[in-house]
Amino acid sequence: MLGLVIRTPWSRIGEILTSETALTALRLSLMVAMAAAAISFVTGFPLALALARGSFRGKTLVRTLVVLPLVMPPVVAGVGLLAAFGRRGVLGSWLYEWFGVQIVFTTWAAVLAATFVSFPLAVLALEAGMRGLDERLEDAASTLGASRWYVLRRVTVPLMGPQIAAALVLAWARALGEFGATITFAGNLQGRTQTLPLAVFERLQTDPEAAFAISMLLIAVAFAVILALRGRFLR
Amino acid sequence: MLLASASLTLAGCGDSDASGSATGEAASHRELVVSAAASLTAAFTDIGAAFEEANPGTTVTFTYGPSDGLATQINEGAPVDVFASASPTWMDVVQDEGPGVSGRTDFGRNRLAIIVPIDNPAGIEDLNDLTEDDLKLVLAAEGVPAGDYAREILTNAGISDTALANVVSNEEDVKAVVAKVLSGDADAGIAYATDVTPDVAEQIALITIPDDMNVIATYPIAVVSGSEEADLAQRFIDYVLGEGQRTLAGYGFLPA
Repeated sequence: MLGLVIRTPWSRIGEILTSETALTALRLSLMVAMAAAAISFVTGFPLALALARGSFRGKTLVRTLVVLPLVMPPVVAGVGLLAAFGRRGVLGSWLYEWFGVQIVFTTWAAVLAATFVSFPLAVLALEAGMRGLDERLEDAASTLGASRWYVLRRVTVPLMGPQIAAALVLAWARALGEFGATITFAGNLQGRTQTLPLAVFERLQTDPEAAFAISMLLIAVAFAVILALRGRFLR
Repeated sequence: MLLASASLTLAGCGDSDASGSATGEAASHRELVVSAAASLTAAFTDIGAAFEEANPGTTVTFTYGPSDGLATQINEGAPVDVFASASPTWMDVVQDEGPGVSGRTDFGRNRLAIIVPIDNPAGIEDLNDLTEDDLKLVLAAEGVPAGDYAREILTNAGISDTALANVVSNEEDVKAVVAKVLSGDADAGIAYATDVTPDVAEQIALITIPDDMNVIATYPIAVVSGSEEADLAQRFIDYVLGEGQRTLAGYGFLPA
């Protein structure tokens, strides 16, 4: 990071960061990361509950599958997404033939790629949070007549505030930094799929100093978010 | 004991020939680092293997990628001995803004072509079809020689605005363009004629671009100044200009 700070062309930084490329990539990155974090949370919460509290056959397999995207090289994740959702893919070919829908090269593809890699983080963080809860509070609510949905909404989730925030931030941060799966599965087009990491990579080929400047932007954004949330969950 | 084994080791390392001639005797191990444009992958892999055979004790390591990215790496200090670019532009950049080059020579040329998946889902038959509505066209990014050449061709054909509106992805090098067409997700791409290598020939079809609108790319090669293996590097270049020409022709490259 010190290297980046030293080599960033501070005299040009205003012009670089307000360029259409940088601003478009920033806007797209924020949208994609937020969407990915939200989807990871919504789909990850029930799964985390099942893993934390449930006991069912195949639980180990499910947990392994959930963690898999974490250990996969992102480009491999991208290739996997192509194999599943590409035009010739297992699901993709069906989507294309029956609905004329093609996911590759769209912003949704970027969201899907980012969700795929951030989902495990959300699940693991949520699961850890659930394991740490005092279940007696939920039991108390139940015995007082609360439905399961009510317990979830009014007891479990509020108790997990900090852990939910942590899971969302982790998922968001991972989604923001996603590169390999995005470039492989979604492609690279300004305004549609070129997130900040892709913009940095493209600039790096011809103008490294501009790439350093845009990298600083990414770091600054991540820094700001973590700083803003430090009171909430970083004790 | 220690002194004996130490001196034995030193003696074993010390018989390097100053001129590094390939006499087949115990030549010391020498390594050559070559940065070559992505479109040269197949041809240079073969050339590298042949060069290693002709020069025992030599290992040639290749980095394939977009010529603009490779030039930038060299200018940022990457220890490269030979640079083979898909356009004179990026060789100029290394020459003028970087460490400089020596022995610069053009070693081949290449035509560009439209590539489509073998089943040709969009029914592309010529350049003009690239203006079709909703076509998923993939090009190399601007700055990458294949990307710049493609845009030049579209301008030559007068279809720049409509065709560029169909671009769904700007790939980091020409091989990534091929990959998107191979997977069937792109309807068409513009790449080099040589990119339809034998191993992808059954999955990709090539559509020729008329010569009057096409771009013929010129590929220069040179020794990067400051290389520690300058003489070996020059020998590699001589090989590319000599025996290597047959290999290049075999893959569809045109002579320089």
